[in-house]
Amino acid sequence: MIEIRWHGRGGQGAVTSAELLALAAISEGKFAQAFPSFGPERRGAPVLVFNRVSPNSPIRARVSVAHPDIVIVLDPGLLYITDVTSGLKEDGILVLNTPKSLVEIRSELSGPWRLAVVNATSIAREMIGVPIVNTTMLGALARATRIVELDSLTEPILERFGARARGNVDACRKAYEETETGEPAGIVPKRPKIFEGEELPTWQELLPGCVLTKPGSARQYRTGDWRSERPVWDHQRCIKCGICYLFCPEGCVKQTKEGYFEADLYYCKGCGICARECWTEAIKMVEE
Amino acid sequence: MVKKMIGIEGSFAIAEAVKLARVDAVAAYPITPQTHIVERLAEFVANGELDAEYIPVESEHSAMSACLGTSAVGARTFTATASQGLELMHEVLYVASSMRLPIVMTLANRAISAPLSIWTDHCDAMAVRDCGWIQIFAENAQQAFDLVLCAFRIAETPAVFLPVMVHIDGFYISHTIEPVQLLEQEAVDSFIPEYRHPYPLDPDRPVTMGAFGPPPIYTEAKKAQEVALRASKAVILEVWQEFSLLSGRHYSPVEGYEAGDADVLFLIMGSFSETAMVAIDRMRAKGQKVGLVRLRLWRPFPVQELRQTVGKAWVIIVLDRAISFGGRDPSVLKSRRRFIP
Amino acid sequence: METLAVYVPRLITTKEYFAPGHRACMGCGEALAVRLVCKALGRNVIIANATGCMEIVSSPLPYTSWEVPWIHTLFENAAAVASGIEAGIKVLRRKGKYSKKPKVVAMAGDGGTADIGFQALSGAFERGHEFIYICFDNEAYMNTGIQRSSATPFGASTTTSPAGKVSIGQATWKKNMPAIAVAHDIPYVATACPSYPFDLMNKISKAIKIEGPAYIHILSVCPTGWRLPADLTIRAGRLAVETGIFPLYEVEEGKYVLNVDFPRLRPVEDYFKLQGRFRHLTQEVIAQIQERVTAEYTRLREKAARVRDNE
Repeated sequence: MIEIRWHGRGGQGAVTSAELLALAAISEGKFAQAFPSFGPERRGAPVLVFNRVSPNSPIRARVSVAHPDIVIVLDPGLLYITDVTSGLKEDGILVLNTPKSLVEIRSELSGPWRLAVVNATSIAREMIGVPIVNTTMLGALARATRIVELDSLTEPILERFGARARGNVDACRKAYEETETGEPAGIVPKRPKIFEGEELPTWQELLPGCVLTKPGSARQYRTGDWRSERPVWDHQRCIKCGICYLFCPEGCVKQTKEGYFEADLYYCKGCGICARECWTEAIKMVEE
Repeated sequence: MVKKMIGIEGSFAIAEAVKLARVDAVAAYPITPQTHIVERLAEFVANGELDAEYIPVESEHSAMSACLGTSAVGARTFTATASQGLELMHEVLYVASSMRLPIVMTLANRAISAPLSIWTDHCDAMAVRDCGWIQIFAENAQQAFDLVLCAFRIAETPAVFLPVMVHIDGFYISHTIEPVQLLEQEAVDSFIPEYRHPYPLDPDRPVTMGAFGPPPIYTEAKKAQEVALRASKAVILEVWQEFSLLSGRHYSPVEGYEAGDADVLFLIMGSFSETAMVAIDRMRAKGQKVGLVRLRLWRPFPVQELRQTVGKAWVIIVLDRAISFGGRDPSVLKSRRRFIP
Repeated sequence: METLAVYVPRLITTKEYFAPGHRACMGCGEALAVRLVCKALGRNVIIANATGCMEIVSSPLPYTSWEVPWIHTLFENAAAVASGIEAGIKVLRRKGKYSKKPKVVAMAGDGGTADIGFQALSGAFERGHEFIYICFDNEAYMNTGIQRSSATPFGASTTTSPAGKVSIGQATWKKNMPAIAVAHDIPYVATACPSYPFDLMNKISKAIKIEGPAYIHILSVCPTGWRLPADLTIRAGRLAVETGIFPLYEVEEGKYVLNVDFPRLRPVEDYFKLQGRFRHLTQEVIAQIQERVTAEYTRLREKAARVRDNE
């Protein structure tokens, strides 16, 4: 049995990818499972989705995947905010959407597992017109792992996407062509700690009834990781009116000493409201 | 300290206890056979005999919900219900215990529809068996008075901080007039100290109550709750001990009647046990070695005490006032396997 | 710096009582509405929150976004819990056991207000508790995945009122909660939208001073559920007002005041075309909606005019 963990962001279609993969595998006569891990996070937040695929026996395990054979990452930014390789088996494979080359990624991320990379964002933009990479990454997955035949993915994609299906199938195929796979890197230095695991209270530490006595403690929680674009202020145009401050759903736009405004990127989710509402068009959204 | 015996209906005795406990808030919705309790409390408030807010809510769901609110700001809170009313507030009961709000409630035990029946059984009690409340059964009006008083003290003990449900059989206790000894206000005042929620809703010290529990924390929270409920038994014993000094009436989690040498034991909860005593007296008179085990503390379940009281009896006959459809035994019987090897 | 000057000639506190780090979707109109409401409410407040998006995104243990006392218990009982809080404080103050007199505020979504919490709300209004009930209306059950509620507008496609070959989406008209609140004869009812932030905050400030129940119904644009780009949240709210679909008004002691009036309303289509949930609507259905919106707006305007004429 092969176990897969998808890393995506809410709204990027990771759940759909996992479902389509399961449908493709089942259409090949295999046993497969797809299920999401739900949390309080919303659109833009990191999410996990799981697959299990078994060539010949029914799958009984109904728990999240802790030790995946395959990890697939839809959003390049996730590499820097979450430990995507956590629990990945030594002979496993990590499939990444990244504009970087295999060599560059190897220098950033090293481990005993194999690595596969593809610039899915650019393929999706070209073939579908939007940077939604879930179907594109299915092609990469098929190429890197042979877990399903490329052709088996076509039918489920056509069925799911209706009018927009063609682009998705093409993107899937193109990613299949362009995915680069590398060999294991052998023994490697430990990765720098890039993700601080939440230290959760134990039952002895919780106050009766789980009362929380630290007001606003969510300030510790970084939502800036959800962002794919950031607002940039042009001081030439800024008239310091504060409309950006007023309309920010996060309340993360702050006034500087000089009276200009800036977003606290620890929280800014990159919604773009400030840029849209700025009267003088002083704010531009730029890609991360 | 102890007043002279008076004749009083069970419901009114409970209302007297609630008044003596100087309750701050009552939120209730009328349902037979609980009505006399809340009517009398409403009268006390209307006459200025009890300085409390009486919230005449539009449903039992809102009754218990309003109780969450009053308790969370630090007000001593009481309500009463029965049967369908209990079912309507079902989900709120879990919240009260999980959020550790020391609400006291009297449940006038009554059957559940359909067909509609206002008469006594324990099906309502069994439906909330696992809701995390401390649950105590009274057998007569005196016990109802005493145990409701003790309930406030138990619930509000900082080590406990759990809601307490005192079960009284509808009509058999709620609507029966019998002799009851009340207590003086000063005695009760010394017995039940002022309620202080350690983290009330207060703008001076803002707290968040009822936060959302992701799976890893949910499990921890439930563990903490279970440990607290089990640990409450020690406090319950202490409070009952202290109450006996005050009133001369002693309560235990499990009480026997002619149980010591009995070959055959009845196991009963609630008012029915007193009727059983009559039967046992007659059977004993005929030389039959029968006795009675009365389960007073239903949750946390007193395994040890039950085992001790059962002693060497050969047969235990459980007279349960509930039915578990499709199950092998009613709920009380299910517990049997835990104390008989 | 406690306040900052903006072009709009008002002052606004820089204090945030709804802390960042909350996990609402990007561009969430409801999170913005809550943030502005909290600014206007200030520190001396207790909030009872119904289950829903705001509860989930603001309080995943062990974190909380709330800087003010806040309690969540269940979905349908925010008004009942608020009743208890208000009554509890009343009696404790009388007994000298509670020093502050915080404003009690219940918050719920449209489902928690117009559907499952309806009875508890009606009961609390009727009993006359001194509290503000705020409905954050994003026009469907967004927390569970965009299912229709009785506040979903006619023609909107949701996951349980999907547009299909024989369906136009939601086939019923939006329940008029503010009118129902008015029918309870409570002293203050208002509608608001964060696209008009000062109007919104003024209404909250006004509601704080009301003795008895106040009801504020806030249209909270949901980019995820309405299927529109996250940066268009404010614009969509503005269009809801400018088309007359969601007029901003107040009803004080039964008297209507239209806070923002337009000599000519924009066509409803301007609002619909931004949003995926209305994409399937035919011109015929749009015309039907237009007719109803115009008629309702005219009626509202007449009610407001009667008040003006009498004064």
